[in-house]
Amino acid sequence: MSEQEVLKDIHTLAKKIGRNVNLMEVCGTHTQAVARAGLKSLLPKNVHLTTGPGCPVCVTAQEDIDAIVSLALAGIPVATYGDMMRVPGSFGSLDQAREKGAQVFDIYSTEEALEIQKEYPDLVFFGLGFETTAPMSAFAIQKGLVIYPTHKLFLPAMKALLEIGELKIDGYICPGHVSAIIGSKPYEEMRVPQVITGFQPDDILVAIYMLLKQLAEDRADVENEYVRLVKEGGNPEALNQIFEVFEESDGNWRGFGTIPGSGLKIKEKYKAFDARLKYKDILDRVDFSKSRKPTACKCGEIIRGLKSPTDCPVFKKGCTPDKPIGPCMVSVEGACNVEYRYGK
Amino acid sequence: MVNDESIELDHGGGGYKSWELLQDIRGALKSRGKWQNCEDDAAVYDLSSSVIPAKAGIHSKLVFTSDAFIVEPIFFPGGDIGKIAMCGTINDLSVMGAKPLGISLSIVMEEGFSKTDLMKIMRSINKVSEESGVPVVTGDTKVMQKGKIDKIEITTAGVGLADRVIENKGIKAGDVIISSGDLGEHAVTLLASRFNYKTKIISDSKPLNKEIEKVGEYLNACKDPTRGGLAANIVEMANKSRVKIVLDEKTLPYKKETVAVSELLGIDIFALASEGRFIASVSPKNADKVLEILKKFNNEAKVIGHAEAGSGVYLKTKLGALRPIEMPKGKLIPRIC
Amino acid sequence: MCLAFPGKILKIQGDKSVVDFDGVEKEVNISLIKGAKVDEYVMVHAGFAIQIMGKKDALEVFKLYKEAEGK
Repeated sequence: MSEQEVLKDIHTLAKKIGRNVNLMEVCGTHTQAVARAGLKSLLPKNVHLTTGPGCPVCVTAQEDIDAIVSLALAGIPVATYGDMMRVPGSFGSLDQAREKGAQVFDIYSTEEALEIQKEYPDLVFFGLGFETTAPMSAFAIQKGLVIYPTHKLFLPAMKALLEIGELKIDGYICPGHVSAIIGSKPYEEMRVPQVITGFQPDDILVAIYMLLKQLAEDRADVENEYVRLVKEGGNPEALNQIFEVFEESDGNWRGFGTIPGSGLKIKEKYKAFDARLKYKDILDRVDFSKSRKPTACKCGEIIRGLKSPTDCPVFKKGCTPDKPIGPCMVSVEGACNVEYRYGK
Repeated sequence: MVNDESIELDHGGGGYKSWELLQDIRGALKSRGKWQNCEDDAAVYDLSSSVIPAKAGIHSKLVFTSDAFIVEPIFFPGGDIGKIAMCGTINDLSVMGAKPLGISLSIVMEEGFSKTDLMKIMRSINKVSEESGVPVVTGDTKVMQKGKIDKIEITTAGVGLADRVIENKGIKAGDVIISSGDLGEHAVTLLASRFNYKTKIISDSKPLNKEIEKVGEYLNACKDPTRGGLAANIVEMANKSRVKIVLDEKTLPYKKETVAVSELLGIDIFALASEGRFIASVSPKNADKVLEILKKFNNEAKVIGHAEAGSGVYLKTKLGALRPIEMPKGKLIPRIC
Repeated sequence: MCLAFPGKILKIQGDKSVVDFDGVEKEVNISLIKGAKVDEYVMVHAGFAIQIMGKKDALEVFKLYKEAEGK
């Protein structure tokens, strides 16, 4: 078996289906893997891959970025994943706050944040990401780390996209590592062809093949290509960790606004570690009116798969990875950044 | 808002922003005299035109370069700040086709810096001198108040002589691109130390003058992929040479450990720096000869791609698609997504 | 949304383990997985093992799928 055989089968199936097929890779790491392998140029003309809302940096709401930058500028030491450093908020990015003298640390794991906390007891960790990073935040909170949480649950966004119905989605390429945590079972609630897959070019090719196969046979199943990692029930221990510390709440997404039941809020029991409460006095003084001001940036529509980066009026014209206007240009898995680097 | 005019760390990252800053600086420094190649790794002064009578012909070009070095940690597996300060300048002269003659060494230290460490660095510098045959002949030291500088900064400058200058812009369509060994291992060593990884990989820093001397006559273009890694340097060479370069994913010059570190930290492998490797373009008829010689220095030397008519740098992926390789954008930040 | 990389467990001590990633060893937190053993492969994301790895790769899955289809 080789990649070329899979590609050949994809072309045969696509021809059989005939019509245009829109597949959404909801996970940003898939978007990047697709671009890195140059996959799009090898697919049949009627098979389209659209980028979904699975870049945690991209979907972080402007208010949350403005809040954490405000805390940093107010003298509170802040740590976050490197991905977030350069995302511009209304008061600049965390990286720019650092240039102005704020204590900002880019870290790779929450254990590193716990180390930094020994020297900077007031440290706040800006927690972001989906079910894959929420357990690490939960772990750290139980060890005493104070967190400003913006964690999100991923399935509600996938459901919301189907419900809004702005874009016809013929199939989902489901996230591999979120699925390692939540398992394959929860996807069964959605009636659309879905394949959970890994991040090697062959994984994605096989997933596309499996989706086309479902479409050709008029099925809408949840199939798991990533059997080497994803179990039906996911990782119960990681889920236990998440729900020991967090409870479901409404989530605030860039591009969507509020999606009910898509957020994770720190439980009453752990409220001492919730930066939103601990630094309420500082946050109450922040002027969030700017956060909601619309700009020319089309990140919102791009996240919902409605627009492609090249449709955005500021793409490459004022918005570049060096001077990003929106988060989709900052994150290396953001649709705009990927298009900027790998597009024609 | 942050003042647009302030210098950011990205300006020192070796990517696009560094290049932009250099353009501004070059723009402000208007006089070049009779110096040429001021945008390459070293500048060239043709002695035959003025100093030496035209007939001399041999070693008639003076090549001059300078570089500043800061590194964290100062001592790392396979080297230290002194070694890279020497190698950096020797290599910048060597990739231009010059035989390095001598080095100047300027050191700025923080008050309280360990004398033992300083002498350890000097011994390391001396070792490179002996190995490469390039002496340190002049220099300066300054000491700054504690906290005004982080431990130590070293600046070296060097002069060399060349018969034929190898320029960045010399790649011709049809050339093959050769790497003198596996790349990125200097960066991997520093990242491993920053993130507590244990690996056998050590910094690739070493002086390149002897190996380049052996193959220099066959090289159409040559550059050492230091800051900004293969990506920044090959893009620069392709742009200056006005050719398209296609690298082959199947023969990329990276060890499995280097791939692992880049994947673990989410850092672009093509942006990882080397301090003792070069990439060169040679015409296909000379490729085997060059490789045979280079393999005596480093068995990993190999062809990594080719040049053709057109523009840009592309990677031919294992699936057979072409995707662009871009100049890195800024400092390397690990990421989780 | 989640870069992760597989590696082999070399050593376990409580919640901590040492994992080998193609010749690069790193300390990894294994508190999120139950019952991991030395010599097993785990997927690591942001310093934590998120799941124990099985074996079948993409092309094997494809092969199985094709075989099932043939029947």
